[in-house]
Amino acid sequence: MDFTGICDRLKAIGAPGILGVDEPREKNPEDKKDLGRAGDSFVLVDPEELEGFLRFCRDDTELQFELLCDLTATDPGNDDEELWLNYNLLSIAHKHRLAVKAKISKENSNAPSVADVYRAAQWHEREAAEMFGITYRNHPDPRHILLPDDWIGYPLRKDYEYPKEYRGISCE
Amino acid sequence: MGFLENQLEENLLTTKVDWMINWCRLMSIWPMTFGLACCAIEMMAVGAAHHDIDRFGAGAFRATPRQADLMIVAGTVNFKMAERIKRLYDQMPSPKYVIAMGACATGGGPYYKYGYTVVKGVDRVVPVDVYIAGCPPRPEALLEGLMKLQDKIRRSPVIRKPARTA
Repeated sequence: MDFTGICDRLKAIGAPGILGVDEPREKNPEDKKDLGRAGDSFVLVDPEELEGFLRFCRDDTELQFELLCDLTATDPGNDDEELWLNYNLLSIAHKHRLAVKAKISKENSNAPSVADVYRAAQWHEREAAEMFGITYRNHPDPRHILLPDDWIGYPLRKDYEYPKEYRGISCE
Repeated sequence: MGFLENQLEENLLTTKVDWMINWCRLMSIWPMTFGLACCAIEMMAVGAAHHDIDRFGAGAFRATPRQADLMIVAGTVNFKMAERIKRLYDQMPSPKYVIAMGACATGGGPYYKYGYTVVKGVDRVVPVDVYIAGCPPRPEALLEGLMKLQDKIRRSPVIRKPARTA
């Protein structure tokens, strides 16, 4: 199924929380400020409905996204107030993919954990949590995964300040 | 021993204790088995047949710090690992030596500026005897580093007092 087909199917089965659809486009040659958009098509979803939405994607027989390829977050820059959550789904049975995104505010950055739907999300969410400072609600095991337990700050945030020292080891 | 047996029968061999002990030490430097990143692959190549670190008596890679004399820090050291490295170093019996292999272990290497968890040189954690440049260094460079360490051991005082520097 192609992207349009997937979107139609999602609407037909009543998947919750769909806010919109974004597809790449060519830049407008007459408007010099318009840069177009590269990348993949994606579905923008309400972060509060993420778990239910992904459950629909997984369980529907025609979509059947049984694999969560990747789960990560993006900080678009200091001018933006929001973080992006990215989910890449793959259906092995039907050989199609879907990118799902959601926006959450930087200040109160929490999102529902989808580890109940996809077990693979557990470690990915732990990584996104320590790198971007996102709190995943109802996560079964919310420890750090890569960084030491007493690490301060979120390294992949654009406003991250590098540490001066760590446990007596100078970083200068 | 056939060569010495015939030559030295009913004879004495005289030497200095310092020279003898240092010779024993430098010809049997046993490294510890651990690698941290891509430099470890080059270290493995040095241990294998083509470059053969055993020619210098340093081929017995020990799987425990308690039997090792030399720690080859082969790769990127991050803060989480630094604590373990310090602990392993403390567990080694003296005399013990450290080789910082490659750019990362020497000074942070490519992670110097933006590597938030990379220790900018393993000498901030343990004392280093020999630094080897390269990213990663050629196997020959590691052998050169080993020979530099042997030179250093050869000059080190054991019984005689260290020369005064005044």
